[in-house]
Amino acid sequence: MLASVAARHFRDRQADPLIRQSNWTSAMSVKIAGELQSGNVIIVDNVPVIVLKAQYNKSGRNAAVVKLRMKNLMTNRISESVVKADDKLEGVMLEKKECTYSYYAPPAHVFVDSEFNQYEIDAESIADLEKYLVADMTDVCEVTFYEGRPISVVLPKIIIREVEYTEPVVRGDTSGKITKTAVLKDTKHELQVTQFVEIGDKIEIDTETGEFRRRCT
Amino acid sequence: MRRWDIFCAVVDNYGDIGTCWRLAQQLADEHDADVRLWVDNLDAFARLCPSVSPLFSRQRLESIEIRQWPSDFPVVEVADVVIEAFACELPATYIAAMTERSEAPVWINLEYLTAEDWVEDCHLLPSLQSRLPLKKYFFFPGFTSRTGGLLRERDLLARRAAFDASAEAEFWREVGLPRIDDELRISLFCYDNASVFELLECWSAGNTAIRVMAAPGAATDQIASWFRDALLPGAVLRRGSLTVNAMPFLPQSDYDKLLWACDLNFVRGEDSFVRAQWAQQPFVWQIYPQSENAHVVKLDSFLRRYLEKFSHADVVRALWHAWNGAGDVGAAWKEYIANWRPILEHGKLWASELDRAGNLANNLIRFVSEK
Repeated sequence: MLASVAARHFRDRQADPLIRQSNWTSAMSVKIAGELQSGNVIIVDNVPVIVLKAQYNKSGRNAAVVKLRMKNLMTNRISESVVKADDKLEGVMLEKKECTYSYYAPPAHVFVDSEFNQYEIDAESIADLEKYLVADMTDVCEVTFYEGRPISVVLPKIIIREVEYTEPVVRGDTSGKITKTAVLKDTKHELQVTQFVEIGDKIEIDTETGEFRRRCT
Repeated sequence: MRRWDIFCAVVDNYGDIGTCWRLAQQLADEHDADVRLWVDNLDAFARLCPSVSPLFSRQRLESIEIRQWPSDFPVVEVADVVIEAFACELPATYIAAMTERSEAPVWINLEYLTAEDWVEDCHLLPSLQSRLPLKKYFFFPGFTSRTGGLLRERDLLARRAAFDASAEAEFWREVGLPRIDDELRISLFCYDNASVFELLECWSAGNTAIRVMAAPGAATDQIASWFRDALLPGAVLRRGSLTVNAMPFLPQSDYDKLLWACDLNFVRGEDSFVRAQWAQQPFVWQIYPQSENAHVVKLDSFLRRYLEKFSHADVVRALWHAWNGAGDVGAAWKEYIANWRPILEHGKLWASELDRAGNLANNLIRFVSEK
């Protein structure tokens, strides 16, 4: 019932020419499922939902599929779904602002824009990013707003973090392993890095894939 | 009685229609379902099931209605359950009819089999249909209780158990090849495979008498090329310790018996891969090759499960990898055959574990009944 009321509300808003001209929703767009990432907003059953996590899977003859964890922006209900990676979905272009991460104030994370306006975003909505969030970090993030409310954050594609711990390379190691685990400073997030990365090194991480890219010189 | 429409687009070969036909039969025979099977290539279907005629666009076999899937799709009544096999695209007119149905049908995308972990998280999840008032569910066959399981007829294990030494001897007599002591019998069903030639060299030069029952198509073509001779069904070629018998294309039920009767089975794709596991004999799988080696992850995911509790895992893995293009197949074969006894036992143990994942048709019926 709540969902249908919300859907009607959203349809009415879309039908209202005055509202359509306002800046909280600028346009509909076509989104390819395989390109979805956390923070994107799409329309499902005429209701806007935000993608919390998009997990791409492809192997053998199976169709490439994307598992989505989403939150209904009307009801805050979380749901999961699977789509073929080449499916076309209806996306929504929403207002966006460049911000930096400030601090964690449970249950929200606080971001700040260039005019020092603060925005609180529900931690659950960006749980997937917490492994990279460090208080007062300088990475410029893109915060998305829905009806004036911040709803999601996209980090820069490449961020730089310091390695707090990783096993030293063993001279003469013939195990054939080409990667090892590294622990990031502050967040304690673990990821796989190449053998030559050492404690204290700064490394580039691709936030879309979560993978190590290279050691910073 | 629920009405089911199964849509099958034959991409190539026989795995797609082989799986769909087994599913259709199980739904009809074991669950009293009213099944209509749409197939875009009746020629491929007829080879697998000789009772099917490629000449008729509409025919009934057993209790199943078989329909040619034409490009200009006719107006038909939508079924209660709609299966799109292996992510094939349903006709637009049929989807439109689905949306107009007073009660939306249960729409299922039956995916290819894979042993990868991620399918457990995606199995039975709905798919987004942002422009349609319909829900489609992903159904993943698999090897664990959190997947859809594998296709298996209710009486398959009993039939397999009844196929004892005398039944096997009878089978070979019917084929015209009574068993010879100390001869290793191998069925060979494969895609084009560069490793075939090296393996044939190895078999012909070895000390063990080997008889290969070669399936028509890529297997016989490559063997004929190696012998530099013709190899039509019924023909026999010999070199050294190796004898090759060219088999005719076998219907599914006869192919099962061949898998049961042979000591070792080389299989490919999906349908024969599953049947080889139920056969409880050692087998080697050639996975459907994909560009950029996308199939390797899938192959290794299966090997991880299949060999998890097996002490001679490296030996089996080496031969499977070599057969799929990564390694020295001759060296791998010698190690494999040297460890034959435990490998033979492993086939039986694996089949007993498989059954814990449940039967795909039963799981499908249960899911549909809950919708």
